[in-house]
Amino acid sequence: MKLHKVGRRYGLRGPWVLRDVDLEVPRASLLRIEGTNGSGKSTLLRLFAGIDAPSTGRVTGRPRAAYVPERFPAALPFTALEYLGHLGCVHGLRGAAPARRATEWLERFGAAGHARTPLAELSKGTSQKVAVVQALLAEPELLVLDEAWTGLDGTARGTLDRAVAERVAAGGTVVFVDHDPARLAGAADACYRLVDAGLRPYDAHPYAARATPGPCVTVVAQGPPGAVPPPGLPGAPVTVPGPDGTTRLTVPAAHSDTLLHALLTARPPWHIHAVAPESAHSADPAHPAQTAPRPDTP
Amino acid sequence: MIPLLRYQFALLIGSHRWLPPALLYAAFVAIGIRAGDPVLDGYGYAAAPLLPVAVWLVRACVTGEPPAARACTAAAAGPGRAHLAAVLTAALATTVLGALGTGFVALVSDPHSADHRTVVPMGPAALAGALTALSCVLLGTAAGALANRPVLRSAGWAVPTGALAALLLLVTAASPANAAVSGLVTGSAHGTVTIPWLPLGAAALIAAAAVTAACTLSSRRT
Repeated sequence: MKLHKVGRRYGLRGPWVLRDVDLEVPRASLLRIEGTNGSGKSTLLRLFAGIDAPSTGRVTGRPRAAYVPERFPAALPFTALEYLGHLGCVHGLRGAAPARRATEWLERFGAAGHARTPLAELSKGTSQKVAVVQALLAEPELLVLDEAWTGLDGTARGTLDRAVAERVAAGGTVVFVDHDPARLAGAADACYRLVDAGLRPYDAHPYAARATPGPCVTVVAQGPPGAVPPPGLPGAPVTVPGPDGTTRLTVPAAHSDTLLHALLTARPPWHIHAVAPESAHSADPAHPAQTAPRPDTP
Repeated sequence: MIPLLRYQFALLIGSHRWLPPALLYAAFVAIGIRAGDPVLDGYGYAAAPLLPVAVWLVRACVTGEPPAARACTAAAAGPGRAHLAAVLTAALATTVLGALGTGFVALVSDPHSADHRTVVPMGPAALAGALTALSCVLLGTAAGALANRPVLRSAGWAVPTGALAALLLLVTAASPANAAVSGLVTGSAHGTVTIPWLPLGAAALIAAAAVTAACTLSSRRT
């Protein structure tokens, strides 16, 4: 997907919100967009999602998209499950698939109990879960998240982080805006900042690391003798050779499930010795206890 | 397009926003058409109010979703297709009302001219009545598409503009709806049936152009 000299303004004489934005978005990547309030982040995301057309320039090669707004006060005359069924069909799912996937995703987000609640009666957070499920159930090739974490509880935020990592691991593209600098810290493939209606690439790693380091997970795994970790593992893990032919792979926590999945399903598959949470600062071999399997960790 | 239409229909039915225009139409037909009235006058009477009803239903459909939900639908289906589904839903709902009204006229009316002397053939009369109703639905859809989001976004402009457009399309001699309805009424005076092919064709062209314009604008004016 490519943006060619894209500009956007509202009204014929309005000020330019975006101007001459050139961007190539590769497949299987996670993009973070930053900017101050009113800098045009939402406008850019709406262009990505295809909701708005650019005033100048063009967007080419947009894949099947789904969008999650910041707030979802949906006063629609449906229950959550009815709405998700309709949207699943609009996304192109057929037969029993929309209802089945909607139920699965609502369960993952801890909102299965609200499946038959009218949308108008849902709390703000549960409405937001419905908006997120609406986008995820169709497994879109392009997922656009406009501060989608706002209003979600801590558990649901983590679930959304992992769902984003799964989309990227499955070859999808995810573009997101969030005001929390630790959101998916270290997991984004590229970061851009909107300044003066233009898009500037910037290195978010030092910034994110200084703000709040994202939690990491270390996986101790063993492949066939002499094998190196397969290329293109999710989350671009930091790999360190361990004792007895094992390898330590450290990834941002959001990518841990997809990394394990990739290792276990590799050909030939890798054996998992241990999985342990680890803070980004303490990747220190002087504390071997950090890498030991912990009984309270799944 | 079918899932979008199902979604929009469920939205229109579930939100009960179809009720006021449908009740207004039912009241108009019930008061205006009596058993034994001349059939061609009855068809004209059943067709004309469909025009403002279509304008109203288009407004109900294109403003039925809150902006956040509309953005989700637009991302999934494309804003133009999502808008087209809303407008088509309104046009189809108005067509259903028109079919009920026209059917009611066919059941209760007297197949004679206005002076009850000349016999009016029922088949051609029903065809003329149905095509006149369809012309009014199409023109009302066109007016509704141009008088609402994304062309006119504020309700303060959209509602008076839609009402005025409906009125003008009914009373102006140049309007295809006016031509079709007056063709029925003057035909009723002489006992002749005029099938409104030309007004229907003109109405279809106008509706296609208006709806295309509105759908093209839907991604540009938000």
